[in-house]
Amino acid sequence: MAEASATVDTQVQAKPKEKLFSKKNKRTLSDPLSDNNPITLQVLGICSALAVTVQVPTALVMSGAVVFVLTISNVTVSILRNKIPSKIRIIVELAIVATLVILVDQILKAFLYDISKQLSVFVGLIITNCIILGRAEAFALQNKPWPSFLDGLGNALGYAIILLVVATGREILGSGSFFGFQLFPDSWYAAGYENMGLMVLSPGAFILLGLIIWGQRMISQKFEEN
Amino acid sequence: MHKNTYVFFFAAAVTITCSILLAAAANLLKDRQQENIAFDIQKNILASAELGSAEMIRQEVLDLYDKYIRSKVVNLQGEEVSDKTVDQIDPKKDLDLLPLYYAEENGEISAYIIPISGKGLWSTIYGYLALENDLNTIMGITFYKHGETPGLGGEIEKDWFKNNFKGKKIYSPDGELVSITVIKGKVEELIPAEEAYHYVDGISGSTLTGNGLNNFLKNDLQTYKPYFDKLKEQRMEQ
Repeated sequence: MAEASATVDTQVQAKPKEKLFSKKNKRTLSDPLSDNNPITLQVLGICSALAVTVQVPTALVMSGAVVFVLTISNVTVSILRNKIPSKIRIIVELAIVATLVILVDQILKAFLYDISKQLSVFVGLIITNCIILGRAEAFALQNKPWPSFLDGLGNALGYAIILLVVATGREILGSGSFFGFQLFPDSWYAAGYENMGLMVLSPGAFILLGLIIWGQRMISQKFEEN
Repeated sequence: MHKNTYVFFFAAAVTITCSILLAAAANLLKDRQQENIAFDIQKNILASAELGSAEMIRQEVLDLYDKYIRSKVVNLQGEEVSDKTVDQIDPKKDLDLLPLYYAEENGEISAYIIPISGKGLWSTIYGYLALENDLNTIMGITFYKHGETPGLGGEIEKDWFKNNFKGKKIYSPDGELVSITVIKGKVEELIPAEEAYHYVDGISGSTLTGNGLNNFLKNDLQTYKPYFDKLKEQRMEQ
């Protein structure tokens, strides 16, 4: 939680007519995509980012689930923000998040059974994904529903982008395919090309993620000085 | 600050809303989910007998299943029970009845498939084991439901682990049922070559899942042994 509260953003005051896409609202949506990405800058939600990125389809479904849960939980918490007793606010937030996650899990089991089996416990573990509770605590509790919606969407998409980039890299390098379609002709394999087994395993995700974080910090020049 | 009564009622309201939502969703989606589970079981039965492939679409799986897979009920004494079908077995009441599946191709039985299940480390593991027509050689094994740790015990559902079972024998040369043992480490390094066909490589970090698997595999094979023995006797007579 300490990392998440570093980005508290509490300046939405009761201005009577704020445009739907004011500059500030746009930043709320776009910041988490790059400059304040939940995975690469705040380094939250790593566990699932490692686990479900062996192939693109699972990463895509996981991303969709997180987008759904994070936006709706943010909006719900924001609507209830003046009603939630502060003594039990974490429990209430968790109940909301958990309900949404179980809902997603049930829907996946009904409509995307194979993928839900591959995602196994990781859908359930969205409940404990620090990004979700972090955004509820750090943003939705202080802001109106619309900015909270944008914040949730932005953070979820920021999570999704990294997940998909890592999954694309891992699937291409590790399985020689993209979305299950074989990329390299059999003649390459006959000529001695081999899929990189490391990329199928979790360390492969660590390495790719590390490279992405390094690259991003090189470009944005945002890092902690000792 | 809110009063305690308010906190109490708020908590109650949240709980009730959440439970109503979840109960409604569970009820609405139940049929579809059960259909998926039943379908997944059929797919696993086929996979254990090395029929079909993972890429098959739904209808292909159903067709293949209808074409090859037959089932019958046997009891603990090894007799066939003809007045019940596999679907009618109530696992709570019919403790002495066992479902048995077999793959039949052109009148010849190519595989006998038995359900296997038992405790792993965290969860009950469910799967199927297919034996070749000699009732000794393993044709294939699948696990379709478990709650083991992904990356550790969860590796049991991976192909590399399941493929290790193929071609292994459950009987020793002198006819004793020894089942298959998942060892700690690699078979080729630890087990003498003449015994290697009773052992498979373990998964590092999941010895306890392997131990659980060893136990229930042997148990399940024991319960079907009377039937298999009778089957062998019949064959000898013919």
